[in-house]
Amino acid sequence: MTITIDGKRCTCEKGEKLLAVARRNWIPIPTLCHHESLPGQASCRVCLVEVVQQGRSSVVASCVYPVEDGIEVYTNSDRVRAERGMVLALLRKRAPDSQLIADMCRLYDAPDLDRVKVSVPGKCILCGLCVRACTELSVGAISTVNRGVTKEIATPYHEPSAVCVGCGSCASVCPTGAIEIVETADTRTIWDKTFRLVRCARCGEPIGTEEELAHAARKGGTEPDTLCERCRRRSMTDVLAATYGDRE
Amino acid sequence: MNRTILVCCGTGCLANGSKGVADEFQRLIDQRGTDARVKCYVKRTGCNGFCENGPIVKVMPDDIIYYKVREKDVAEILDKTVEKGETVDRLLYRDDQGRPVKHQHENPFYAPQHKTALRNIGAIDPTRVEDYIAAGGYEALKKALAMTPAEIIEQVKRSGLRGRGGAGFPTWRKWQTAAEQEATPKYVACNGDEGDPGAFMDRSVLEGDPHTVLEGLAICALAIGAEEGFLYIRDEYGLAVRNVTTAIADAERHGILGDDVLGSGRRLKLSVVRGGGAFVCGEETALIASIEGSCGEPRPRPPFPAVKGLFGQPTVLNNVETLANIPVILKDGGDAFAAVGTEGSKGTKVFALVGKVKRTGLVEIPMGATLRHLIYDIGGGIQNDRPFKAVQTGGPSGGCIPAHMLDLPVDFDTLKSHGAMMGSGGMIVMDDRSCMVEVARYYINFLAEESCGKCTPCREGLRKMLEILTDICEGRGQEGDIQLLEQLGHTLQDSCLCALGKTAPNPVLTTIQYFRDEYEAHIREHRCPAGVCVKLTAFRIDADRCRGCTACARACPTGAITGAVKQPHVIDSSKCISCGSCREACRFDAVETEGRDAV
Ligand SMILES: Cc1cc2nc3c(=O)[nH]c(=O)nc-3n(C[C@H](O)[C@H](O)[C@H](O)COP(=O)(O)O)c2cc1C
Ligand code: SF4
Ligand code: FES
Repeated sequence: MTITIDGKRCTCEKGEKLLAVARRNWIPIPTLCHHESLPGQASCRVCLVEVVQQGRSSVVASCVYPVEDGIEVYTNSDRVRAERGMVLALLRKRAPDSQLIADMCRLYDAPDLDRVKVSVPGKCILCGLCVRACTELSVGAISTVNRGVTKEIATPYHEPSAVCVGCGSCASVCPTGAIEIVETADTRTIWDKTFRLVRCARCGEPIGTEEELAHAARKGGTEPDTLCERCRRRSMTDVLAATYGDRE
Repeated sequence: MNRTILVCCGTGCLANGSKGVADEFQRLIDQRGTDARVKCYVKRTGCNGFCENGPIVKVMPDDIIYYKVREKDVAEILDKTVEKGETVDRLLYRDDQGRPVKHQHENPFYAPQHKTALRNIGAIDPTRVEDYIAAGGYEALKKALAMTPAEIIEQVKRSGLRGRGGAGFPTWRKWQTAAEQEATPKYVACNGDEGDPGAFMDRSVLEGDPHTVLEGLAICALAIGAEEGFLYIRDEYGLAVRNVTTAIADAERHGILGDDVLGSGRRLKLSVVRGGGAFVCGEETALIASIEGSCGEPRPRPPFPAVKGLFGQPTVLNNVETLANIPVILKDGGDAFAAVGTEGSKGTKVFALVGKVKRTGLVEIPMGATLRHLIYDIGGGIQNDRPFKAVQTGGPSGGCIPAHMLDLPVDFDTLKSHGAMMGSGGMIVMDDRSCMVEVARYYINFLAEESCGKCTPCREGLRKMLEILTDICEGRGQEGDIQLLEQLGHTLQDSCLCALGKTAPNPVLTTIQYFRDEYEAHIREHRCPAGVCVKLTAFRIDADRCRGCTACARACPTGAITGAVKQPHVIDSSKCISCGSCREACRFDAVETEGRDAV
């Protein structure tokens, strides 16, 4: 089927999300909470676009909106600019320390909202990706607590989590870099918990925390890794070479 | 002669001691052997909807209805009414002219009502399936079993029934979509979350006539091909949970539900899920998440639950009142149902009429009746005959309709086109002593606390709207605040993930639309015209009008009022906290408000 985005005809398939179609056609739409491996979050609302269908116009979140034949999409109409700008302005009150949010506010002409106070200091926009990453990819050490305006993301009772393995999946998906990881030569500290770092038996590069490697091993039913990714590949080549005997 | 004594045992009357009254009837009947002279039977019923006048006792077939009955009144009722058919005048309701009213249908609160969803409540014992069956219950299910799914849906379509849970979505369309899905299993579910503060229509149906809801769900299950269903009931509704649980067990025991529905070979397993009580859990996708055991947060739609709902399967979720109408539609036919109501809103609607009206309670009237009819004829007008100012319809995220619109017909589309909504049917009536900015602030505060906090505009936007409204109420409003509130409101309407956020600005936008001058008085003159906002209001007693009755001095929580009996009283402004208790207490309108310097 075909839809038009900002006047451009785009072909797409039933069930595809609008954001994916736009990106395939090089039409930029800003996002914060959208992550290819953790789709469907739909919480930040900066990916808003206007959809006109049978003469009726509505504003939708493009990251989760399934395309329908014949719709006309506008990614930069007055209405989209106004609502997206306000959403970003609200996020700046919520995450005043985030450079990314400040940059996006400038780029998308967000109103300043000087009239109202900063809501919370910091960089977290509460998009929830970290919680999803930890729950779906790791151990479920963090969650959202409270609801409404007092919502936040935390370990249980704000204490160092018993189950956290320090893998940093949460930090790696965070769009604003709000989750702090501090590493020294042999420790990593995240969510107020300090882990020992394991180094590659061959090259000495840090390869992860003890708990993280043990967790991955338990999940995969193998022994914990002792080599880094590169050395593991190298050692694999060594084995192959030894087997087939054509060492360079 | 046989007599039945119906004692209202809804939550309201129970709180006023109706269990003691029912027990006392039974005890005295046994003790005095009344039964030997008059065959009588004490029946405990669901809520009659007029709780402020409870406990309510009806004697049938004389059709005499008593209010505010205490245990000490029981002997007299037995002596006079049960044994001799005479009335006990002092327990009768007095109408607006002060005349005693003997029959329920003559009571101005009940007379204009048209009961469909509430048809059995107050007449049957909700814990006895036999009562429901005797009232014609489960006949509609029997009828539906002989019909095809398409025929059932056709009747629902002809009825014009729209969902009573808030959005007014055509019920048949949801059923049709779910029926068309090939995926199995499918589920039916009943939304008994009822999170609107002040609303109690769903509770009253679940408590007072649980089998109606089960029958409605069973018919829906036949129409879409489901064999399992859930009733999601908020945990605080203890009696509702108990009565529904009993009803399911009884229906299964009688072969009405369970493995062989009325001998048809069809299967339907229903169970109760107790909800945690968050307002947002009433939203359909959050409710489904909550039944599945995850966090009660809304999910993006589409997919709609009728396509992918509970456990990813096609699911029809209907409101309690919606389901209570289904048996009537199947029994009498969709056309008969559609004969009542307006073009776009068929049938009746139950309203929880509360606030500053003389008579408050549950009211079921045909769609399209005017606000004036509801507030003045049924509600008896405003308490102390003060002027009517506005009515908040549709719960916290509904809108405020002003006095000059009293003649608006109440139906889904009219309310919506005026910025309000039907919601679940809350009607909060306000008099001239309500500050509309404070009203908006109150609802936004509620919604900010109840927002699930998942999406940016709702979580952060409500917080900022609340900040601005609080500023305005406390004298820190600024030029431009009204426009900013409107802008924020439009952003929420457009960009929130679920209907909580999308409708949350309604109370702000409607109060700005209809009471803009009140906002301006707060912002520009630091004045609260209604004399409500504490920081902007000082109280003063007019010495000429004060009779020295001391009512205000007794009502004042800080002891700020002094004065001798029959002498004008005075308020010590250094002790006054501007709570307004004196003004409420004064019967001579002697307490006046004036502006006060906020900062
Ligand atoms: C914040 C919010 C709260 C809601 N609460 C309720 C509720 O308490 N009861 C209810 O039946 N519907 C409630 N709804 C509406 C439901 O999402 C849903 O539309 C309804 O249960 C569908 O049933 P119906 O079609 O029979 O009305 C709520 C919606 C929202 C957005
Ligand atoms: S609109 Fe409000 S309640 Fe709905 S998903 Fe967003 S934050 Fe949650
Ligand atoms: S990217 Fe779509 S809502 Fe965040």
